[in-house]
Amino acid sequence: MLSVTKRSSWTDTLLSIFLFVLIIILYQYFAHQRHLLNPHDKLVPTFAQMLDAFTRSTFEPDRNGVYRLLDDTLASGQRVLISMVFVFGGVLMGAYMGLFPVMDKLFYKFFLFFDKIPALAILPILFIFFGLGEVSKVALIVIGVVPTIILDTYLRAKAFPQEQVIKAITMSASKSQIIFKIILPKIFPMALDSIRLNFKAIVLFLISGEALAATAGLGYRIFVVRRYMAMDIIISYVIWIGLLSYLIDAGICLWIKKQYRWYNK
Amino acid sequence: MNNFKRISQFFILLLLTGFIAACSSPSGQESNASSSTSGKSKKFKVAWSIYSGWQPWDYANQSKILEKWAKKYGIEIELIKMDYIPSVEAYVAGQVDACVMTNMEALDMPAASGVTSTALILGDYSNGNDALLTRDNLQVKDLVGKEVNLVELSVSHYILSRALEKNGLKESDVTIVNTSDSDIAPAFISNNSQKAVITWNPLIMEIKKQPDVKQVFASSSIPGEIMDLMIVKTNVLKDNPELGNALTGAWYEVMAIMKKEDKATEEALAIMAESAGCSLQEYKDQLKTTAMFYSPKSALNYTTSKAVIQSMDYVRKFCFSHGLLGENATSFDQIGIQYPNGEIQGDKNNIQLYFDSSFMEKAANAQL
Amino acid sequence: MTGKYILEVEGASQQYFDQSEKSFQVLNNINLQIREGEFVTIVGPTGCGKSTLLRMILGSERPSAGNVLMDQKPILKPDRNRGVVFQKYSLFDNLTVRQNVRIGLELENFSIFGNLLNTVFPGWKYEEYSTLVDEYLERVGLLQHGDKYPYQLSGGMRQRVAIAQAMIMKPKVLLMDEPFGALDAGTKDQMHAFMLEQWQQTGQTILFVTHDLEEAVYLGTRVIVLSQYYQGANGAKIVKDFNTPWPHPRDQSVKEEELFQDMIKTIRNQGLNSNYLLNQEEFDLSHADAIQLAS
Repeated sequence: MLSVTKRSSWTDTLLSIFLFVLIIILYQYFAHQRHLLNPHDKLVPTFAQMLDAFTRSTFEPDRNGVYRLLDDTLASGQRVLISMVFVFGGVLMGAYMGLFPVMDKLFYKFFLFFDKIPALAILPILFIFFGLGEVSKVALIVIGVVPTIILDTYLRAKAFPQEQVIKAITMSASKSQIIFKIILPKIFPMALDSIRLNFKAIVLFLISGEALAATAGLGYRIFVVRRYMAMDIIISYVIWIGLLSYLIDAGICLWIKKQYRWYNK
Repeated sequence: MNNFKRISQFFILLLLTGFIAACSSPSGQESNASSSTSGKSKKFKVAWSIYSGWQPWDYANQSKILEKWAKKYGIEIELIKMDYIPSVEAYVAGQVDACVMTNMEALDMPAASGVTSTALILGDYSNGNDALLTRDNLQVKDLVGKEVNLVELSVSHYILSRALEKNGLKESDVTIVNTSDSDIAPAFISNNSQKAVITWNPLIMEIKKQPDVKQVFASSSIPGEIMDLMIVKTNVLKDNPELGNALTGAWYEVMAIMKKEDKATEEALAIMAESAGCSLQEYKDQLKTTAMFYSPKSALNYTTSKAVIQSMDYVRKFCFSHGLLGENATSFDQIGIQYPNGEIQGDKNNIQLYFDSSFMEKAANAQL
Repeated sequence: MTGKYILEVEGASQQYFDQSEKSFQVLNNINLQIREGEFVTIVGPTGCGKSTLLRMILGSERPSAGNVLMDQKPILKPDRNRGVVFQKYSLFDNLTVRQNVRIGLELENFSIFGNLLNTVFPGWKYEEYSTLVDEYLERVGLLQHGDKYPYQLSGGMRQRVAIAQAMIMKPKVLLMDEPFGALDAGTKDQMHAFMLEQWQQTGQTILFVTHDLEEAVYLGTRVIVLSQYYQGANGAKIVKDFNTPWPHPRDQSVKEEELFQDMIKTIRNQGLNSNYLLNQEEFDLSHADAIQLAS
C-alpha cells in the first residue's frame, strides 16, 4: 500500500466524490419516496425542485420585480465587506498591541473578555443600541469575529522574533516602520489565514443578524421563506452560501499562495 | 495497490446498487404518522405553543382533564410545548399528529405542502390580539414610505395588508422590515426611529406601555378573519375518531370551567397565566382581545356560518399573492377547502383543508 | 586614529534573576576598550555571558552596574551606529534577497509620500538604491540569487545576505553573535575567508562572539576570553585579552602553525575548563588596551 506507484487518477477522483454521490443518491431516493406519498411535499424537495427554485430566484424577477438571489447576495455581500474593514482594522490593532506595552495593557484583557462573550447572546442589546438597520448587523459580525482576529494577530506579533525588531532598529527603523514595514508584512498572510478560518463564523453571524431584522439578504430569505416551508429555496440558498464561502476560501488561499510565496515555508 | 483496486470496485458496486435502488419504484411502505400502535392503547402527539387562546390546552394537560378524556376513549395523548413555527413545521414533517395554528398557517403550511388537515376545533378568533401600533400619532394613511417592523408572511403581514387595503394603500407603499418575533418588542421600544410595528399579544401589551405609542389598527377591525384552530391530520382523524372525541371533550370541559367565573375559573386562569409567563391580570386582559367560543354551540354556529368562508377567501388570496401557496401556484383556487355544509372553495380535486364541525356538534349535543 | 576608543565598557556587571527570584551575577566588572578598525573576537565557555556583553554593547540590554559607551556617549538603545548579525532570524523571510539587502536603505530614507509613490510606481525610488544593492550582492556573491527568498537559500548563503544587509548600512561597529554557529565546517571555512576579506575591504570595527576557539583565534586581530572559571568567581570576567600575531591577510595555513595550536590549547585548558580555576596572576591581559585592575 505504501508503494510509490501512482494510482490511476480516475479511481482517485471516484473515491473523492464517492460520499457526495452517495449522499445525493440517498437524498434523492428519500425525497422521491416522500413525494410518492405526498406529491405536494415541501419539506424534502427533490433536486429538480431545488434547481427550479434556484433558477427562479436567480433568473426570474419575483412579484416585486426583484432578482432575489442577486439582490440578497449583494445585500449580504455589502455587510460582509463593511465588516471586513473592521476585520483588517483588527489586524492592525493586534499588531499594535503586540508591539506597544501600553496598548497591550489597555486592550488585551478587554478583547480577551469580548472574545469569550457569545456575540449571539447579546444580539438584542445590539439591536437596542444600534437600531434595526445595517449598523447592528455589521456590529454583530464585528463583535463576533474581530476580537478573535485581534487576539490572533496580537499573539503572532508577540511571537515575532525580537532579533528582527532589533535588527530593524539598527537599520534606523522607527516604531511605525517596525509595524508597517517589518511586522505587518510578515504576519499579514497569517492574518489572512485566520480570517479565512473565521469566515464560517462571519457567515454565521451574518445570517443570524439578518434573521432578526432585514429587508434583504441571504439569511433574511432563508428565514422568510421558512414561513411557507419553501425548503427548495432554503436548500438552494444554503448550497449557494456554501459555494460562495468555498470560493472566498479558495480565493484567499490563492492570494496567499501567489502573493506570499515564502509563507509556510 | 491490489487492495486499493478492490476497495474502489466495491465502492463502485455500492454506488450502482444505490443508484438502481433510487430509480426503482418505491416499496410504498407507510412512513406515516408518529401514532404508534405498539402496546395496548394508541398514542398521539399534539403540539401547542403559547398564545392566550391556546393556554387552555396546557391547563387541560396539567389538570389531567386531557388524560381523563384520552382514557375514556382508550388512547394516550402527549401534549408537547413548542415555539409556534417549529410546531407547525413538526406537524408538517409528520412528527406530531395534531397542532394548534391559525387558519392562515393551516392553509399555507400543511395544506399547501399536501398534508391534508382538518380543523377539529375552532377555539377563538383574534379580536385585537394582532395589532398595528405607531408612534407620533401616525395613522395608517401616514405610513407611506415608512418602515414597518413585522414578521414577514405571518398573520402580522396579513393585518398590514388588510389595514392598507382598507385605507386605499398598497403594500408597496411601505417598506416591510422582517423582524424576528423574539426581538421585535425591545427593538421597537428602544428605537424611536422605528415608527410602526405589527405584532401580537402579549408583545402588544408590552409595547403599548410606551407613552407615545398608539394602536391604529387591530384584528378587532377585521373580526373573525384570523381564527385559532386545533388542526389534526385528516387521515389520522378518520382512522381514529377517538382522538377527535378526546380532544374535543377535554377542550369543552376546560371551556366550561373558564366560563363559570367562580373560584375554579380563577385557579384555572392562574395556571394558564403562569405557563404563558404573565400575571393573571395580564392574561385576563389578553383574553379580552381573544374572542373565545366558550360553548360548543357558539363554536358550531360560527364554524357553519358564511363568515368563515368569507374569511378564508381573504386569507387564501393574501397567501396566493404572497407566494405562500408555493411559488409555482397559478391561482388561489389551487388548494381546495371544504366546509361543514359540503361547500368547496377552490379545486375540488385537491381538497387539503377541511373544516369539520361534527365533533363540536357532538359536544354541543352532549354526545361525548 | 590611535588614542581614541570607539567602544568602551567601564566596570559593567550584569545580574539576572532565576525562577526563585534569586539574583545571580553573569558578568562581573567588565572593562574593555576597543579602537576603530579592530576585529575583536570574544570567546568563552557556554553560559559565560558573551552574548550578554554583546547585547549590552548593542544596547538591547542595560548593565546592572557600570557603563557602556560609544564615542564617549552612553549606549542606551540599539541604533544605526551598530549593525548586528545574529545566528538565526537575521533575515526577514518575507523579503527576497535583494529586498533584504535593500530594506535598511528604505527604512532610513522613509517618507510616507515616498512610500505611497513606491506603492503606485514600484521601483521608482528603489532604482536609486539598485546600484548599491547590486554592488553588495556582488560582494557577497549572491547577485544571481537576488530574487530568491531566504527559505530557498542554504545556511551559508543566508548569513552572507545577513552580513550584506548589515554592512550596506555602513555602521561604525558590526556586532556578530555566533553568526556561523549553525554552519557545517566547510561552509564555515568559506565564511571565514569571506569575513576577513570584507573586513579588509571596509576596515570596519567588528565585534564577533563565538564559542569556536579556532574561529576566534583565526579571525580576530584581538581575542578576548570571557570566563567564570577563576578562583573566587562571581560572574564571568575577562581572563584573557591579547593580540594575534599573524598579519592580515591570513590564510588557512595559519591554522597549522604550532603557535596557533598552542594558543588554542592554552585557552581551552585555562579559560574553558571548569576543572581548572585560574588565579588572578594567570590572567593574560597582554593587549595594549587591556585594563589591569587590582582585584
